[in-house]
Amino acid sequence: MSRFLDRIAAASIGGLGILLLGGCELGPKQATQTGYRGTGLEQIVDVKHIAKVSLIPPAPYPLPPDGGPTAGESYQNIKVLNGVSKERFDHLMAEISQWVAPPEQGCNYCHNPENLASDEKYTKVVARRMIQMTQNINSRWSSHVKETGVTCYTCHRGNAVPVNKWALAQGTPNPGSILGNRHGQNAPEANVGYASLPSDPFAAYLNENQQIRVAGNSPFPSRDHVASIKDAETTYGMMMHVSTALGVNCTFCHNSQSFRAWNLSRAQRATAYYGIRMVRDTNENYIGSLQTVFPAYRKGPHGDPYKVNCTTCHQGISKPLSGVSMIAQAPALKGVSKPTAPAEGGPAAATNVPAAFNDPQAMTGTK
Amino acid sequence: MALLSFERKYRVRGGTLIGGDLFDFWVGPFYVGFFGVVTAITASLGTALIFYAASLGPTWNPWLISIAPPDLRYGLGLAPLREGGLWQIITICAIGAFVSWALREVEICRKLGIGYHVPFAYGFAIFAYVSLEVIRPWLLGAWGFAFPYGIFSHLDWVSNTGYQYLHFHYNPAHMLAVSFFFVTGGALAFHGALVLSAVNPAPGEPVKSPEYEDAFFRDTIGYSIGTLGIHRLGLFLALSAGFWSAICIIISGPLWTRGWPEWWTWWLNLPIWS
Amino acid sequence: MARYQNIFTQVQVRGPLEAGPRMHNSTFTRSGAGGYHYWLGKLGAAQIGPVYLGPLGMASLTFAFLAFEIIGLNMFASVGWNPIQFFRQLPWLALEPPGPQWGFQLLVPLAEGGWWQMAGFCMTTSLLLWWLRTFRRARALGMGTHVAWAFGAGILLIITLGFIRPMLMGSWAEAVPFGIFPHLDWTAAFSIRYGNLFYNPFHCLSIAFLYGSTMLFAMHGATILATGRYGSEREIEQITDRGTAFERGALFWRWTMGFNATAESIHRWAWWFAVLTPLTGAIGIILTGTVVDNWYLWAVMHHYAPSYPGTGVVDPASLPGAPQ
Repeated sequence: MSRFLDRIAAASIGGLGILLLGGCELGPKQATQTGYRGTGLEQIVDVKHIAKVSLIPPAPYPLPPDGGPTAGESYQNIKVLNGVSKERFDHLMAEISQWVAPPEQGCNYCHNPENLASDEKYTKVVARRMIQMTQNINSRWSSHVKETGVTCYTCHRGNAVPVNKWALAQGTPNPGSILGNRHGQNAPEANVGYASLPSDPFAAYLNENQQIRVAGNSPFPSRDHVASIKDAETTYGMMMHVSTALGVNCTFCHNSQSFRAWNLSRAQRATAYYGIRMVRDTNENYIGSLQTVFPAYRKGPHGDPYKVNCTTCHQGISKPLSGVSMIAQAPALKGVSKPTAPAEGGPAAATNVPAAFNDPQAMTGTK
Repeated sequence: MALLSFERKYRVRGGTLIGGDLFDFWVGPFYVGFFGVVTAITASLGTALIFYAASLGPTWNPWLISIAPPDLRYGLGLAPLREGGLWQIITICAIGAFVSWALREVEICRKLGIGYHVPFAYGFAIFAYVSLEVIRPWLLGAWGFAFPYGIFSHLDWVSNTGYQYLHFHYNPAHMLAVSFFFVTGGALAFHGALVLSAVNPAPGEPVKSPEYEDAFFRDTIGYSIGTLGIHRLGLFLALSAGFWSAICIIISGPLWTRGWPEWWTWWLNLPIWS
Repeated sequence: MARYQNIFTQVQVRGPLEAGPRMHNSTFTRSGAGGYHYWLGKLGAAQIGPVYLGPLGMASLTFAFLAFEIIGLNMFASVGWNPIQFFRQLPWLALEPPGPQWGFQLLVPLAEGGWWQMAGFCMTTSLLLWWLRTFRRARALGMGTHVAWAFGAGILLIITLGFIRPMLMGSWAEAVPFGIFPHLDWTAAFSIRYGNLFYNPFHCLSIAFLYGSTMLFAMHGATILATGRYGSEREIEQITDRGTAFERGALFWRWTMGFNATAESIHRWAWWFAVLTPLTGAIGIILTGTVVDNWYLWAVMHHYAPSYPGTGVVDPASLPGAPQ
């Protein structure tokens, strides 16, 4: 009897061991150093688990040269791309139907084939706003997208609706009851890398301008800086989203000696800083403005349209599409050059960002 | 230093593992032995190199001195002295000193006719150190993965290496190690306190016997592990803490590269839930 | 090599169970006669029980049960009373303290942190009653109260985390949630909010004492087992009348590192290391957010934060053009 029990025990311990190892990554690893030696600033990735880049489709036909009559002269009801040559306008339309429209519908996904100029389909109104959005991103937010730029394909990847999106969370049915109430956290949630951290960082940080920075501004407490541990947990959740979206760890941007100090951070952190503002601008001014345009089945449980977050473009890679630029194929999406958006640090940014975080050592007056 | 009153009868020849009678002597209270000589050489050389490396650095502030391992690009090869080479030699010296210290303990055990439990236990500490500085860097293919020698700089390494896995507290082996550390601390407090409470009894009471120690814990929690058992338990808990600490860092990188919270999805995805 | 290493008991003695010495001033008698357990006997004493229940013990267990139930049922409710999901998601589930909007208000609506307050109250009461019990059990046997004071140090840390510091900060939201993963999230967020807890000197001390305690128990436990053949586990006897067991153990350390403790002093070292772990930890917790808001900046100010080659990156929010 006891021998039988021993066997069961041995088998279950072995089984558990196999199970735990099965949860692991046994393949070869790749490592990159991201900071001074010996500081533990590294990216280690399991080669097999690097997110796959979706195949970039070839251009429908070679980009025609610029010039000739403009789209505004050739077509009716052109509101955004009036100045683009007709040839290039047609080319862009062909690209959009390839990048976004379901193949079986093609042009008809947005257009009434009887009257291409008509705005009767909501998809056409949305597409027009999305073109403005793309131009805005490529010009005003070149601080984030740099020279690489974005096209419709960066998010859509051949889907009518991008796969990675979010809407205001369902939330607790009855906040006054404990039944089914997770207080917005304490559930294994992919958004925050399966930690039990607050699992919807999007509404506060990517739609509203809630302050992400929680670490104190000075060594000493101040009435001007009140952030509870719960705020820190929400920020942590947001950062879990950013890391997961980019397929990187915290040390891709930060030196955790001080998450807040900028002189310890990599340039990628400033890029991400602008990225977060870019997403806010996009969600608030472009997608938000389509609230009344989208039909109900294209909206979330609270009736708000689906919005973007870091994953929408990045999809597990620090540079979307591995940094391949498609903007040369669609020059109309570059938009008119606009001044890049100024930085801002959320409410009361100027007072909340002391010079100390650019050079903490300067605080002491010594090196 | 003077001999303890009873020490002379225990200071006997023999028991050495190597070197015969050559180093079989004491310096003050310290036993020397072949491994004592090796320890002295490696420890002095390592310490001297730490001072030398510090002299090349920007500061003599003891909190800030840091001697860092090489950049990752040197892989498992040798690095120039000022760019991690000193760290490499210091590491070799440290391992040499630790291992010969353990072997010297073995020789002392043999002289005293006692078990090898202490050097065995010390071996776990060496294992934890070697895991951090040799085994994991070797598995990942570069010495640059090891921690630097500095009081606060090694904490920065710990912090950053933890955040490489987004939230290190979710590392199951780390959970075990921390739990063992806490339980060891609790058990040590209770053991120390129990013995002290028996030999420092209430005012006017005689010193108490082990029967009282047992009775105290039986009365309070229903079980007393006994005078011998508590030392077995304590040793087990302490060694488990060290062992799982070593495991938790060896698996971070070589066996798992993403956030540790994500590791737990195997549990969420077990077929038993549907 | 196959020598007996004193890791397990090879021969277990079975005789009349120990009933325990007479107790002074106790309301109850001990419950049960106790019994033997073979596998426990392999590691330590085989006898389980008898136990002294007593009014304090029963009250403490009642409050512990209440706390456990409040926490467990809140978690169970949070998954809509689904037993499978309760078990599956248990490590993620939590009972959260009130949000910052409630400040340090005495009574918060149950679903918004009131249950947490009740659970915390029950747990604290249970711990304090149990503390009194350890004190009274020691006195009933005419022993010192060292166990109670050591236990008290641990309780102090718990109360600091869940009550004293939230009170000083004026917000229950600062307290630790009940839950396996959630309390780990709290710990990490605490460090992030206060600018890296590794630069809190009392956190450093606490960790040093924790590792020191572990090292001491390994050293002490190993020394006792190694000298077990000379009767080293009879520590009280060795304290009052030193024998060859502790002479050998002492000489081992004297020859190894030039210094040795005695049979009694090793237990004083042990007690202080173990007790100082939560004590210094509690001090570090109390100072965080009340006296120091950012430990990294505080360390920079006091010249103990290493500086690494700067990256030259500046805060975009401090650039010209940012709203001033």
